[in-house]
Amino acid sequence: MTLRTSIIMAACAAALAAGPAWAQFKPTKPVEIVVHTGPGGGADVLARFMTQLIEKENLAPVRFQVNNRDGGGGLRAMAYVAEKKGDTHTIAIFTGNWLTNPLVRAEAKFTLKDMQPVARLVLEPAVVAVKADAPFKTMKDFIEAAKKTPGTLKQSGGSQTSRDNVVRQLLMKSTGANWAYISFPGGGERIAALLGGHVNMMVIEPQEAGEHIKAGNMRVIAQVAEKRLAPYPNVPTLKEAGYEIPNVPQVRGVVMPSGVAPDVVAYYEDLFQRMVKTPTWRKYLEDQQFEDGFQKSVELGKFFDTFTNQMREILKEAGTPVVR
Amino acid sequence: MDVLANLGHGFIVALEPLNLFWCFAGVFLGTVVGVMPGLGPAATIAMLLPLTFKMPPTSALIMLAGIYYGAKYGGSTTAILLNVPGESASVVTCLDGYQMARKGRAGAALGIAAIASFIAGTVGVVALMLVAPPLAKFGLAFSSPEYFALMVLGLAMVVLLAGESLVKALLAMLVGLWIAGMGIDLFSDASRFTFGNSEMLDGVDFVIVAIGVFALSEVFANMEQREEGTMLPVPKGLRNLLPTMAELKACRFAFLNGSVVGFIIGVLPGAGSTIASFISYGLEKVVSKHPEKFGTGVPEGVAAPEGANNSETGGALVPLLTLGIPGSGTTAILLAAFVLWGLKPGPLMIQDNPELFWGLVASMYVGNVMLLVLNLPLIPLFAQILKLPSYLLYPIILGISLVGVYTVSSSLFDCYMLAAFGLLGYLMRRLDYPSAPLILGLVLGDAMERALRQSLMMSQGDLGILVSRPISATMLVLAVLLLIMPLFRKFNSWRVRAIEENG
Repeated sequence: MTLRTSIIMAACAAALAAGPAWAQFKPTKPVEIVVHTGPGGGADVLARFMTQLIEKENLAPVRFQVNNRDGGGGLRAMAYVAEKKGDTHTIAIFTGNWLTNPLVRAEAKFTLKDMQPVARLVLEPAVVAVKADAPFKTMKDFIEAAKKTPGTLKQSGGSQTSRDNVVRQLLMKSTGANWAYISFPGGGERIAALLGGHVNMMVIEPQEAGEHIKAGNMRVIAQVAEKRLAPYPNVPTLKEAGYEIPNVPQVRGVVMPSGVAPDVVAYYEDLFQRMVKTPTWRKYLEDQQFEDGFQKSVELGKFFDTFTNQMREILKEAGTPVVR
Repeated sequence: MDVLANLGHGFIVALEPLNLFWCFAGVFLGTVVGVMPGLGPAATIAMLLPLTFKMPPTSALIMLAGIYYGAKYGGSTTAILLNVPGESASVVTCLDGYQMARKGRAGAALGIAAIASFIAGTVGVVALMLVAPPLAKFGLAFSSPEYFALMVLGLAMVVLLAGESLVKALLAMLVGLWIAGMGIDLFSDASRFTFGNSEMLDGVDFVIVAIGVFALSEVFANMEQREEGTMLPVPKGLRNLLPTMAELKACRFAFLNGSVVGFIIGVLPGAGSTIASFISYGLEKVVSKHPEKFGTGVPEGVAAPEGANNSETGGALVPLLTLGIPGSGTTAILLAAFVLWGLKPGPLMIQDNPELFWGLVASMYVGNVMLLVLNLPLIPLFAQILKLPSYLLYPIILGISLVGVYTVSSSLFDCYMLAAFGLLGYLMRRLDYPSAPLILGLVLGDAMERALRQSLMMSQGDLGILVSRPISATMLVLAVLLLIMPLFRKFNSWRVRAIEENG
């Protein structure tokens, strides 16, 4: 081809390659991170850590600020975000709750379909824990015992739609065993119930249980994860132990109001991609025992659909009335 | 002794000038936050978290803890002067504290509140220091049946708060229980009494009801009088601004009562300072020689609950520090703070970070002294607020109440609810229904229902679980005794009258 064509092509290539750096959108005022928990809750702690990290590593030209909109099991935060259509300086941390709650709650005015996915950040595995002096050494022991005395063994956990109960429903369905589920509103109370011997088992995030396991009060009998977590190399995952159930991660990521231009989404995607590459973030994942589940907006949108459909099925099986 | 040596090290840490500064900053801020209704220590601590990242964890914890127990000191101020509970735990202080203010004893009430808070706060710290680990184990033995029994015991206190008509008090309590049930049900995920409104999904926030029923109803009731509003008498002279020796002497048991009850209830994760103050108040009334005077402005009625809600902070730190289990909203944020600072909360935390624990304990002693010194001289100043003419005072109360409620969740819907409850409170006043049982029902209803259902789930539907366990059985028996007591008293007075007539 002619020299001129080559130069034009090279220029175009250069422009395309420089694309992200030339993205038109850049935030000009502090960005609000909406979380659906009060101060101290899981999403809140993550958001605060992210704010700290972004500032320290100078990843963005403006400040990020956490806005707690707790209430309604996440619905208040969702409504707040959905109503801010077109706002380019608001993002929110979503969790699995944002996907499942609207399925069972008629009062929900908005679902994730009314928002723009940005990025998926982490997948939180869980461990199945029992009190250290319990007779169950493996998941099989627990399931066998549950089969022998249906409904007598007890698990402590959160609400009916929480991941704890979802794992329980899946296990009960696949093994035919049956045990009771007792809801406690706070993580502290759930742990207290287990340590006090009032319940037999719980599904708990590893960083919450970590110290108790180290102190010898709790024991892990199985892992709810794709691969074994580093601190528990000898404990099988549920799949390895032979339970063919889909892995149910607790998922956390970022969404924003719909009606924003593609370059805005691209900006935030890029921001979080840079964030998850920092050593501080990697160390955070290690400390908290999270799995890196980074996905960009398009894949995340597909993930939302698969996850929602999966949850709908599980809830229907469990007998919870599903409204949408 | 080991403990003394550790405490010595703790004081060395706590008395460092920087830590003294942070301690003061914390308790001062806490007092301010406690005075303002709506804004609580939990939200304040959350807002200050980013600031703490640049500080060493021990100093940060000293400051945050200062906010936590400082807020309990501040909450009594508006409760006594304006019948506005600044903190949910100050509701009980409103009962006798405000009545004392109406009688011109506002300064005395404030003084007793401060002194009770100091004594109980100190006792709480001592207990935290000495018996934390074994007490934490005791706390673990408490599960749903025991919580249920504790709540029933608390509700039985209604009998003691009844005033003239027990029926009206029980009715108010039932309304409180009903309001407590509104919202999402944790176990079945059903929405109860939400009227299809997503704002109602969390039920009604306690602060809104308390401020509406207490403060707003007071304003409305006073607005009825067409003539220049009756101002509350302001005591003249320094002597009248502080509690008399007689009053302090009368509170001797109350100080002890508040300290012990508050601390023990604080240790139980999930039971809060509101329950502690109600039970302490009830206990004080039971042992008092003049129980019928409670509610009209007796100093013990201020000392007991104020003491209880202060030593409760010491108690709440026990499960947090020894097991990493948060017992309340504020301790949950402290737990998050620990995680963000890189500490690992759990059974090994004190072992791994002794200077943190002992520095904190020592700073709590210091903080309590600071608070006493801060609060006592400010009493005459605060008491002057009562000098404001009603056309200034009542709008100020309305303003503080509205803003306070809005800060809870930035929701206008909450403000409408506030108005509705203010109206309810006004109606209750006019029809002579006591409002304390309603608050009691609201506070306890949620936790009690949850505890009952959890217990039944644990026992597969067998109610026997509530009486087969020793702790819960004891508390239930106590509750029943409390409920039967009025009958005894009536019986006794018949007997006495019969003897007199015959003899």
